[in-house]
Amino acid sequence: MSGEVWVYAECRSGRLMDVSIELINGARKIADKIKSSTASIILTDNVGQLADELISYGVDKVYVVEHPLLRLYQNDLYTDIICEAVLKYNPEILLIGATSIGMDLAPRIAARLKTGLSAHIVGLDIDENGILKQIVPGFGGGVMAVVTCPKARPQIATVRPGVLAKPEKTSKKGEIINFKTEISEEKIKARTLEIVEEEPLGKPLEEAEIVVGVGLGGCKPETFKLIRDLAETLGAAIGGTRPAVDEGYIKEDQMIGQSGKTVRPKIHIALGVSGAMQYMVGVMDSKTIIAVNKDPNAPIFKMCDIGIVGDLNDVLPILLEEIKQLRKT
Amino acid sequence: MPFDFTFTSEQEMLRKAAMEFAEKEVAPKVEWMDETGETPIELVKKMMELGFGAIVIPREYGGAGLGHIARIAVLEEISRISPALSFCLQIVHLGQAPLIYFGSEEQKKKWLPGMAKGELISTCAVTEPTGGSDVLGIQTTAKREGDSYILNGRKCFITNVHISNMHGVLAKTGEGPKGLSFFMIEPNTPGVKPGRKENKDGLRGLNTGELILENVRVPKENMIGSEGDGLRIALTAISNIGRPGVNGVALGIIRRCLEEAAKYSKQRILYGKPISELQAIQWYLTEIYLDYETTRLLTYYAAWLRDKGARCDAENAAGKYYSVEAAVRCAHKLIQIFGAYGVMREIIPQRLLRDAEVLCSAAGTQEIMKLVMFRKALEYAK
Amino acid sequence: MRILNIIVCIKQVPDPKEFSKIAIDPVRKTIVREGIPSIINPLDKNALEEALRIREKYGGKVIVLSMGPPQALEACKEALAFGADEAILLCDRLLAGSDTLATAYALSKAIRKLEPYSLILCGNETVDGSTGQVPPQLAEFLGIPHVTRVRGIKIIDDEAIVESMMEYGYRIVKVKLPAVLAVVKEINTPRILSVFGIISASSKKLIQWCVSDIEADIDMIGLEGSPTRVTDVFTPEVKRRCEVFRGPVEETVRKAVRRLHEIGVF
Repeated sequence: MSGEVWVYAECRSGRLMDVSIELINGARKIADKIKSSTASIILTDNVGQLADELISYGVDKVYVVEHPLLRLYQNDLYTDIICEAVLKYNPEILLIGATSIGMDLAPRIAARLKTGLSAHIVGLDIDENGILKQIVPGFGGGVMAVVTCPKARPQIATVRPGVLAKPEKTSKKGEIINFKTEISEEKIKARTLEIVEEEPLGKPLEEAEIVVGVGLGGCKPETFKLIRDLAETLGAAIGGTRPAVDEGYIKEDQMIGQSGKTVRPKIHIALGVSGAMQYMVGVMDSKTIIAVNKDPNAPIFKMCDIGIVGDLNDVLPILLEEIKQLRKT
Repeated sequence: MPFDFTFTSEQEMLRKAAMEFAEKEVAPKVEWMDETGETPIELVKKMMELGFGAIVIPREYGGAGLGHIARIAVLEEISRISPALSFCLQIVHLGQAPLIYFGSEEQKKKWLPGMAKGELISTCAVTEPTGGSDVLGIQTTAKREGDSYILNGRKCFITNVHISNMHGVLAKTGEGPKGLSFFMIEPNTPGVKPGRKENKDGLRGLNTGELILENVRVPKENMIGSEGDGLRIALTAISNIGRPGVNGVALGIIRRCLEEAAKYSKQRILYGKPISELQAIQWYLTEIYLDYETTRLLTYYAAWLRDKGARCDAENAAGKYYSVEAAVRCAHKLIQIFGAYGVMREIIPQRLLRDAEVLCSAAGTQEIMKLVMFRKALEYAK
Repeated sequence: MRILNIIVCIKQVPDPKEFSKIAIDPVRKTIVREGIPSIINPLDKNALEEALRIREKYGGKVIVLSMGPPQALEACKEALAFGADEAILLCDRLLAGSDTLATAYALSKAIRKLEPYSLILCGNETVDGSTGQVPPQLAEFLGIPHVTRVRGIKIIDDEAIVESMMEYGYRIVKVKLPAVLAVVKEINTPRILSVFGIISASSKKLIQWCVSDIEADIDMIGLEGSPTRVTDVFTPEVKRRCEVFRGPVEETVRKAVRRLHEIGVF
């Protein structure tokens, strides 16, 4: 039996990050293949029910490190603690959510342990030899690479939120281990003083069933109004491309794609989106993609299910009408 | 004569800088310039700050000394976004030319450093109501009085007249071809009055106007060269800086025509397919592309000759003549490609045509260009 | 506080505007970059701009360091044209095939030769690999703290107060200098190259170092020093219906919606 498959459980303000829960799913699948077990490691000032929650999602073990200094993310302490735990328990694989904190933490851990790390992967699998095959996007998502870490251990990967599905809760039991280690304030050289939160507007993109994507073609006042009407009727969340952010029609946290969010809605409606890979990589996993664009040669028409060639100002009102009609019947 | 068509890394960096400046800072102002005809002073200042005014001034006088090829690259990139602003820059260079080519050491040290920084901007005032092509017919006089000259006269169609603080003036000190002299008028000289502002139909936002000189006292030290050198000074400046400058601006217009034509033909659907699949449109595009390549070659070739120090008046004239003809016909074709949209004020093709037309009589009319080329052509009689 | 050397790590990358032209060599499983113009990684420009502003405010010397092939010299020249005081290109065949760990190690050995320094600035990630892993790993090799996603830096004595962007908001971090700060584009707007900068570049120090100059351990660089391996490279496949409707607007939209209904979407 090989070493465990670990998931770093990131928590903020006493809540587990969704991606950490998604990772448990991935960890389970991998562990099953290599006939090993899964574990979570959590660093916090007050673990409360979090360890139980992790176990309910299916991890076999939770390593808990509890200390007041860990309330806010402190890179120096978190790196020290996780590396110590890794050296003590020798996991085979460590999965970390590619959040802002995960991406700040994981590289330092990998460097200290002199092991391999791949970044914001969008797919993972394990081969017969227990080597993790990590799918990494590059060049704005236009190119995918398969990365492995053949020799060094643990194999570490940061996983993009939204790539794995959340596991169902179970009534499984698991083990909670309190990992004791020296935690001293002097070690902190980059001190997080405070976290300032800014409220996101509207429904978080990753949870919406229908997501409307706004591209440069939709960035005109009258057109955007039509788009908003459509989104409202459908109860859809609005996201968009980098140009739409630059034009000021959507906010940075609504941006979809390589440098933004990954969404996996049932329906994605791309309006005035050309279909550049930087964007498409964030919507690849949508069940159905509908595209409207006035350029018949737009790449998106080769990457959608249903495409409509036409000017948004002409198409949208009719589209809205037709959908409303359909819903009545 | 082996040619190396690669740009040096300095020239490439310069081109990138000009492109970034044009796309980021100039583009937002272009519509306003065309609508109001107003000159964006802050953009002129920014160009000076970025050092675009110092390109042809030699290093020992605080300039960049980067040469004529570099100059064309900058003019092209800025013109692609705003031909008017690019032309403004080219005339800033023209104002420096008499000094650079014929100024005494003292004169160069006195004014070139300030010009390199953009603190001093000079016009090159030659044309009068009596004619531009008929240079010998000018009426502005410069009468010697003790240690100064008193200038009286009226210049018209002078670019940058309202934004310049110095003026380079061609005036009569005698009769005939040897009766013209060139004077630099310093800032705040009494009697210098920028006159009416012209309302052009193209290159709008480029400042063009009258210069009125009423008993302007100019110290004799401000005369470039000697009495009688004026014609040669003015024509050398115009031939080597003014005409190539028109080239650079025209080149930017042609390139923009090519970009807009290609983009539009891919997007515009008629008969269920993009018009880029219609042969008529394909041939327009081909012709515009051909004009771009040939203009580029002529323009940069002449610039290369100048950088080598070779005498190239015929090549300068050929470049100006060809590039302006090409710009006008490319813009005209662009309008055909856009159909009715081509003549709507909010869309670019009509502006490019209007801008190209104004270039026709800049730095000498097309007919004068033919005269210059003719002289060279005749030399081939052996 | 007297600011000493400010080191800016830059990388020359293919121009993102041309990404659609990137091809993959099916045999060697590598990226074919020929014919695609290169630029300084955009976020590295933000880092360089920030370094220049810090120098303007507090003094110090801005040294640009880049690890790359010989053509990366152009990027170094451009950095000098922007205003950096010195530029160093770390260039050596032995460095080829380095993953982020090996790269961070090599950079750290080069930086050791540039001590004492107050600050190391990097772009948070590159447009090609976009891992964002080098800055924290570099800091680890140097034994100094790091902060990623920095959008604001205030220097007070021997510390910096920085704002690090998060998903919804930011965290305020007090970090002891010297430190590695990886910046995001929100931090500033890089200046435009000026003519004077371009001509001054040729008189500034531009040097090349190889592996022996930085006394790097051969086992820690290049392919040998890279724990990760790229085993395959491919363009993502898309299997979609690709049913595109065009024609007169009303008819087209109606047909499309009918089809959507048929396939069970609406």
